Amino acid sequence: MAGRKKTLNTVCWIIGFFVLWEAVADIMLYLLHDPNAEKKLTAPSLILQQFVADAPHLLTEAGITFSRAAIGFAIGAAFAFLLAVLMSLSRLIETTLLPYLLLSQMIPILGLAPIIFSLVKDLDTARIVIAAYMSFFPISINLLSGFKAVRTDQQTLMYSYACSKWQLYRFLILPSALPYLFAGMKIAAPLAVTASILVDTLSVQDGIGQIIVYSLAGGGALGAFWPAVVLGALLGVISYNIVTLAEFILVPWDRGEAGKEKSA
Amino acid sequence: MSTAEISAKNVGMVYRDRKGQEITALQDVSFDIEKGEFISLLGPSGCGKTTLLRIIADLLAPTSGEISIGGETPAQARKKLKYGMVFQSPVLYDWRTVRENVRLPLQIMHLSRAEQESRISEMLELVGLTSFANHYPKQLSGGMQQRVGIARALAIQPDILLMDEPFSALDEFTKEKLHNDLLHIWRKTNKTIVFVTHSIAEAVYLSDRVFVLSPHPGRLTAIEPITLTRPRTDSMRNSEQFFELVGRIRNDFEGGSI
Repeated sequence: MAGRKKTLNTVCWIIGFFVLWEAVADIMLYLLHDPNAEKKLTAPSLILQQFVADAPHLLTEAGITFSRAAIGFAIGAAFAFLLAVLMSLSRLIETTLLPYLLLSQMIPILGLAPIIFSLVKDLDTARIVIAAYMSFFPISINLLSGFKAVRTDQQTLMYSYACSKWQLYRFLILPSALPYLFAGMKIAAPLAVTASILVDTLSVQDGIGQIIVYSLAGGGALGAFWPAVVLGALLGVISYNIVTLAEFILVPWDRGEAGKEKSA
Repeated sequence: MSTAEISAKNVGMVYRDRKGQEITALQDVSFDIEKGEFISLLGPSGCGKTTLLRIIADLLAPTSGEISIGGETPAQARKKLKYGMVFQSPVLYDWRTVRENVRLPLQIMHLSRAEQESRISEMLELVGLTSFANHYPKQLSGGMQQRVGIARALAIQPDILLMDEPFSALDEFTKEKLHNDLLHIWRKTNKTIVFVTHSIAEAVYLSDRVFVLSPHPGRLTAIEPITLTRPRTDSMRNSEQFFELVGRIRNDFEGGSI
């Protein structure tokens, strides 16, 4: 019951938010007669209208941006996994690699993206590389913390079974770090989408970022701006929810329900 | 060579604390434990009872003396999976159901799937958790979790069951029920059990002999045979003889340097 009440609450807030937004936009346009009202605050009804009118184009471009982000995310996650395992295996590798990983995150992505693009000379490859680059760090760091957070008593038990290193990873360290892996991936997934959109804007060919830049530059095509921005934000939300869904399926023991205390 | 299942000769454990001062956790501990015996290591915190258990289990190496497990070193015995370990916290793997938790050591041992299944069924039956086989640990009560831990320890068919204050986190009623369950399992499986506790009554109710340890430095100060008949029943907890044994062991401590 509490869950349903919470959902109702959320829905009310969202509806209220849009009603307020619509009202303010309409007041600016019809009551205050602001000539730039539509640019300053576009009414959600108008955005929706424009979105529907332009839907096939918008969704195609969004698909391009999202699929490259997804490929980059997958590559970044695989790389992150490898790094985390290596760092957990050897203290030397960890202390050697970690400063460079940190350093890699200090480089402004706005500066790095054009360099990568001019190096690989291919928009799709650049999108994938940058998405992977943005994804790997939070996943790697979270996973490494997960590997280190393994309970000592659980390790002691494995030791008492005289298990091999491989068995230790397979049966204890990897599964117990899964919630950490997902925590990292929840941060990384929207980052990968942002990265992909950023690369769209570099070469005005395709993708959701291209629509945003084009509509801003063209001025007249402003109608496409808001729907594209909203869609871009939606892609981030969707990516996050895909990871959450995957966690729900793959980490069944950590679901809210299972965590409920039962009396003796 | 003695025929004892577990034999300790002048076992000592000295370590340095952060300031570099030597601390004697165990001093000159010697004993023999026969096959099938139920032994309790009893004492207040700091007496080295858990250290002693961990030395037997090959989780710690003593700084002097030696332990023999039927003629083998503790390391050899551990690698042959002769020990079943049960800890104070159940140490279950959250991501595995009850059934899969019991399966874990069997997977490590590379037993066949059929053998795994038959042992799991047998063990869950033994601890009375058959109907909870597909529950996750977090869905169980503390007492049930500890029973899963016992089932898992027994699944590898160890010669020796090492238990480190397994019931100390449980309420009195659950604890007394598990005492009877454990004695029932012990009678059926005929394991040698070494049971660490700081409860005199618990040690008396369960054991054949109680090893009394005193702290600073940790040492074995007395070995008390428990003459209560078997099988033990709850009514014995209120018997004259029970109180007498508890009183005698309490005297062992008061006579010492606690």
